[in-house]
Amino acid sequence: MASSQRFQTAAVRIEGVEKHFGNVHAVRGISLEIPERSLCGFLGPNGAGKSTTIRMIMSIISPDRGTVEVLGGSALSMKDRIGYLPEDRGLYRKMRVGEFLGYVARLKGVHATGLSRRIDDWLERLALPGVAKRRCEELSKGQQQKIQLLASIIHAPDLLILDEPFSGLDPVNGRIVLDLIREEQARGATIIFSTHQMHTAEALCDRIVLINKGEKVLDTTMADLRATHDDRGLVCEPRADPAAFAEAARARGIARHARLHDNGAVDLELADGQTTESAMSAVLEIAPMRSIALRRMNLDDVFVEIVGGSDAKGAKIDA
Amino acid sequence: MPNSPQRPRPSSFTRISMVAWREFRHTALTKGFIFGAIVVPILMFGLIALMPLLLSDKTPPLVGTVVVADPSGTILPRAKAILEKPASMQEVAQDLAEELSTTPKDTASQMGAMSKLSDLNPAPVQVEWRSERDFNAVESIKAEVRDGTAIAAATIQPDALDPSKPATALELFIPSSLSPKHVRQLQRAFRQALEDERIARSGVDAQLLERLARAPEPATTRISPQGSEAEERTELRMIVPGAFMMLLWITIFTSANYLLTTTIEEKSNKVMEVLLAATSPMELLAGKIFGYALVSTVMLVMYGGLGIAGLAAGTMLDIVPIEHLVYFLLCFVMAYFMVASMMAAVGSAVSDLREAQSLVGPVMMLLIIPLVLWAPIIENPNGLLATIMSFVPPASPFVLILRLTAATEPIPLWQTLLALTWGFACAYGMVWIAARIFRVGVLMQGKPPTPRELLRWAMVR
Repeated sequence: MASSQRFQTAAVRIEGVEKHFGNVHAVRGISLEIPERSLCGFLGPNGAGKSTTIRMIMSIISPDRGTVEVLGGSALSMKDRIGYLPEDRGLYRKMRVGEFLGYVARLKGVHATGLSRRIDDWLERLALPGVAKRRCEELSKGQQQKIQLLASIIHAPDLLILDEPFSGLDPVNGRIVLDLIREEQARGATIIFSTHQMHTAEALCDRIVLINKGEKVLDTTMADLRATHDDRGLVCEPRADPAAFAEAARARGIARHARLHDNGAVDLELADGQTTESAMSAVLEIAPMRSIALRRMNLDDVFVEIVGGSDAKGAKIDA
Repeated sequence: MPNSPQRPRPSSFTRISMVAWREFRHTALTKGFIFGAIVVPILMFGLIALMPLLLSDKTPPLVGTVVVADPSGTILPRAKAILEKPASMQEVAQDLAEELSTTPKDTASQMGAMSKLSDLNPAPVQVEWRSERDFNAVESIKAEVRDGTAIAAATIQPDALDPSKPATALELFIPSSLSPKHVRQLQRAFRQALEDERIARSGVDAQLLERLARAPEPATTRISPQGSEAEERTELRMIVPGAFMMLLWITIFTSANYLLTTTIEEKSNKVMEVLLAATSPMELLAGKIFGYALVSTVMLVMYGGLGIAGLAAGTMLDIVPIEHLVYFLLCFVMAYFMVASMMAAVGSAVSDLREAQSLVGPVMMLLIIPLVLWAPIIENPNGLLATIMSFVPPASPFVLILRLTAATEPIPLWQTLLALTWGFACAYGMVWIAARIFRVGVLMQGKPPTPRELLRWAMVR
């Protein structure tokens, strides 16, 4: 990292931040620390306060209360060390791509010498060769999105904040962006990104912050999250009636909860005292199985459970 | 992947300069601007210069027979000579002046008088003249006009040569199809013929009479308090303050309008947040205001330079003293910051031009006052309206420049100093308020704010 000596452990430190918009209490006393070089996912339903929190981190808006410290100082004085891809994407339609990228890079303090070559290299890298001379309005939506992402990383920032970086991208371009984010982290940047795509967050993040109704409801590392949720469940496909199997598993004290899936699979959340090995043996005694597997942590489920929409996913039988 | 560059943090001034240059480059160095702000005015000036050529009269010639019932037999040869000789510019000007001084002051009458200008370029004449000595034949010659045998018939009463007789002593009958221009040519020829014949019969020397009737205009010299004397050019002295004010209006409103539309565009394009990730709202606003100040300056130098060059070519530079130029520059800076800050604030607060118009509308009403009332303000620069308006922003700089450059009577020095100081204080205040509205407005979406909400934004921490 270019200036890692300026901060010790936290790239972003937020303390008791509140924000109102008129009568709407958008952010309610959020405190968090994002360690340097981490890749942190900001998750939450629409309107949860993710973008507002991100804008406060960027010093685009000021909190009503609380403090925000970015890279050891105020984001206002660190803007050239921060890359930001806003949720609402924007380009100057009539400006040429190379000129736009050059303009943003120069505003961020990149020296003009060699900038043109640098832009060409990046465009090549993002599978956009030869577009530097084209006007932004001539590009497809996906191409424009990649140009916007490039505008946020062209100055090699120490902190990269990406608000919904994958929205609107096809799988090929999504993969390119995914690789780019990983490379930025490998370079040493701290990355915060908000997304609704749980599988992407699961694959990328080493830290998760879940925000709901303006409050932080989860702030943990992926390792801790997995340790909490992994190995405490089984996914079974009984040859017999799934509902009867689920009821039996609960009745025999194998599972605390059992959830039926539309495809006939049954999720068992193991009861206290059960190990995965003992539970596997026990369920085989109830009914013959097509398959039986350890249940891996699913961020989707964690999200739905915490946000309160768990009823939306299949019937749940409580112990 | 490119390596992370070690770089110094750009100063606030550098970022403001970059934003300003981008705004200038993408406004003033575009085909649209060069065409709209440079080529079109040049074309308009060219068009005005070429107007007489473009409007050159292609009226068909006056062809046909003119019957003259004139017992004296003296009018026809005079009328024929006059009709076949085009009027001189001097004669037309004299006619026009007489006409304007005697016609009622309604628009239609004045338009009629102005139409005399077309006499400068009369239609060709291919007329056959026929004299009718028998005055009693008037009904038969009127019948000739009716059936199209003759294009006109004039009857001159036997006593028409008596100056005491009424105008009906000379009558002209024309068909309904005869063009107004041909009618005026015939009217002029017969009137002039009758005048000439009356003068000839009186025994007065016609040329002497003309010289006697044309008294010279008074040679007017304006004497300054310092004692210098200069030939008075009243019309120019009326026009110059108006020209100063119009120059202020055009240069400022053109670029302020660009500022408004680009701010709205950046907001609706969502590029605003990208910029705010690199600059502070204040840097962005300052960059935009200075960028469009450059655009205004380019227009000012271009149009003002053309005006000064025109005056220099006509050796009339003395009507624009140097202190007027200094006043103009002060009013330009003051007016620009007032109008630009207003447009930037409105642009940041709305999502499209229609919403902007409803917010800018009331202020524009105030700004139109100098445009509408420039003539009375110049006539009476120390009048109550002029004095009050020169202290009411954002109209004040426009009224002030009219007052300061008006030729009639100087405005008191204390008023000049107070109006300038107050004006710059207001401009500063407007920029301050605009900055606070801009900071909040650029990130707002949805319905446009009410004026009360704008005020609340200005007060927000």
